[in-house]
Amino acid sequence: MSINRRKFIKETAFAGGALATASLLPVKAEAAGTRHITILHTNDVHSRLDPFPMDGSRNQGLGGVAARAALIKEIRNETDQVLLLDAGDIFQGTPYFNLYKGEPEIKAMTMMGYDASTMGNHDFDAGLENFALQLRHASFPIIICNYEFGGTAMENKFQPYKIFQKGNLTIGVLGIGIELRGLVPENLYGNTIYRNPIEAANQSAEILRKKGCDMVICLSHLGDKYEDDKISDEILAKETFDIDLIIGGHTHRFFEEPRKYKNRKGSDVVVNQVGWAGIQLGRLDYTFSGFNRKSFSNAHTVVIGKKTRE
Amino acid sequence: MRRNTTPLLIVVLFVFSCSTPHQSSSLIYNDYRIEKQLKPDSTLVMMLQPYSLTMNASMNKVIGFSSNNLNAKQPESGLGNFMADCMRLMGEKKFGRKVDAGFMNQGGIRSYIPKGNITVGKIFELMPFDNLVVLQEVRGSVLQQFLDKIAADGGWPVSAGVIMGIKEKKAVQVLINGKPLDEKATYIIANSDYVANGGSDCEMLRKIPKIDKGYLFRDALIEYVIDLTKQGQPVDSKIENRVTNVN
Repeated sequence: MSINRRKFIKETAFAGGALATASLLPVKAEAAGTRHITILHTNDVHSRLDPFPMDGSRNQGLGGVAARAALIKEIRNETDQVLLLDAGDIFQGTPYFNLYKGEPEIKAMTMMGYDASTMGNHDFDAGLENFALQLRHASFPIIICNYEFGGTAMENKFQPYKIFQKGNLTIGVLGIGIELRGLVPENLYGNTIYRNPIEAANQSAEILRKKGCDMVICLSHLGDKYEDDKISDEILAKETFDIDLIIGGHTHRFFEEPRKYKNRKGSDVVVNQVGWAGIQLGRLDYTFSGFNRKSFSNAHTVVIGKKTRE
Repeated sequence: MRRNTTPLLIVVLFVFSCSTPHQSSSLIYNDYRIEKQLKPDSTLVMMLQPYSLTMNASMNKVIGFSSNNLNAKQPESGLGNFMADCMRLMGEKKFGRKVDAGFMNQGGIRSYIPKGNITVGKIFELMPFDNLVVLQEVRGSVLQQFLDKIAADGGWPVSAGVIMGIKEKKAVQVLINGKPLDEKATYIIANSDYVANGGSDCEMLRKIPKIDKGYLFRDALIEYVIDLTKQGQPVDSKIENRVTNVN
């Protein structure tokens, strides 16, 4: 690609950004040739079904599935191209889980219309059998491609990846779980085998791309990044080829804004995480333009700008 | 669109991606806080009601009082000291033997204790896991390795009787009940079975035999608070410079 073309595209992107800022609300009727998808996401909700109690603590009054459901409903009224995703650790953290083992958590996610979730380490906390059992209340799949569940209660109860058709958009979603040894007690994960996340993610993403996905999303419970070389979303993002977006979890990080990394092809990969306990709902509005040219470099450029006022 | 949101804008230009029929051109990011002002969805409220009624009946019972807001902090916190002291003292009480030191993994502190009444539910949120109090007899050299792990992690809660500095991710100037740690001596330590089984990357403890009475650490915390209340005392744990960063 010529430098001039690259420059032109960058400037166009900036101009597009300015336009998008002017009209933040996505419109239901879209211009011909463009496709829109709204990705809503949570992670590490940890059984926080009720809001935090009003006890003077930092998070008082925040969270709760009833308020989240209302917000999601409001967004669905605005656009019907919604994908609602969770990055794991649905379970553990309030007495609801001690008493009911995850049943109301899964029921609530089903009622909110979640499209998919991956598994976090705490989803093993009442045993893998229990997690598998609670999925009878789920109308959404558990997506994970680097755990092998052969000979466990989860066998045949998960998918390595799934393709979602939203209007004319084809979106592939895969899931990645964290290393279990040293984190989850052995008696809870049993015969579950943990596979290398980078290899598993690249394999699944390649399959999804070959099946014609316009976008590949990875639900990850690896954690955003670590001081040492422990595998994280940051490392995963850099080592992948076909993933556009990583919805992360585990480290309970409230991102100031989505992060971006260059993958093995030199394209930008966006990573986002929204803390924990359902305090936040993340929203990523992608607009796809319909042009379709081949034989150019497929390096993706991401320009981040911040809206300064409401 | 909703007050107190922080909309950010990202423009993504997927430049001429070879294989994809659609090119992503822009990404707008919006961050919603789930706040009380949102009118709760009534179908979710109704779904939860039978669960919460039963739960609250047992969880809202008041068992004690906290004089302060206790939060998890590193290298040391009042909350951590409360939990590690409970690990040691209730371990001694339940197992009927002297315990040299009690510990708590930092990541295992799952909540906070606000100033005021302490309910059973608060203890469940603080210690939601069904972890057990277990004792282990360890060589001083193993204890040093364990304390180094604690230091490398930025400091975990330790009970009264343990004083340590953190220097270059190692535990230094360690005192166990007033005496320098002796690598050749034997110590009785109390931990959750999670840590004793090698959780939080505590591999050095994994193969050491565990003395286990099926005693839930959560029950230990509840009993510890009830004991304090019976003695007319609130939970009043403070930072005592048990774990400090040294230069």
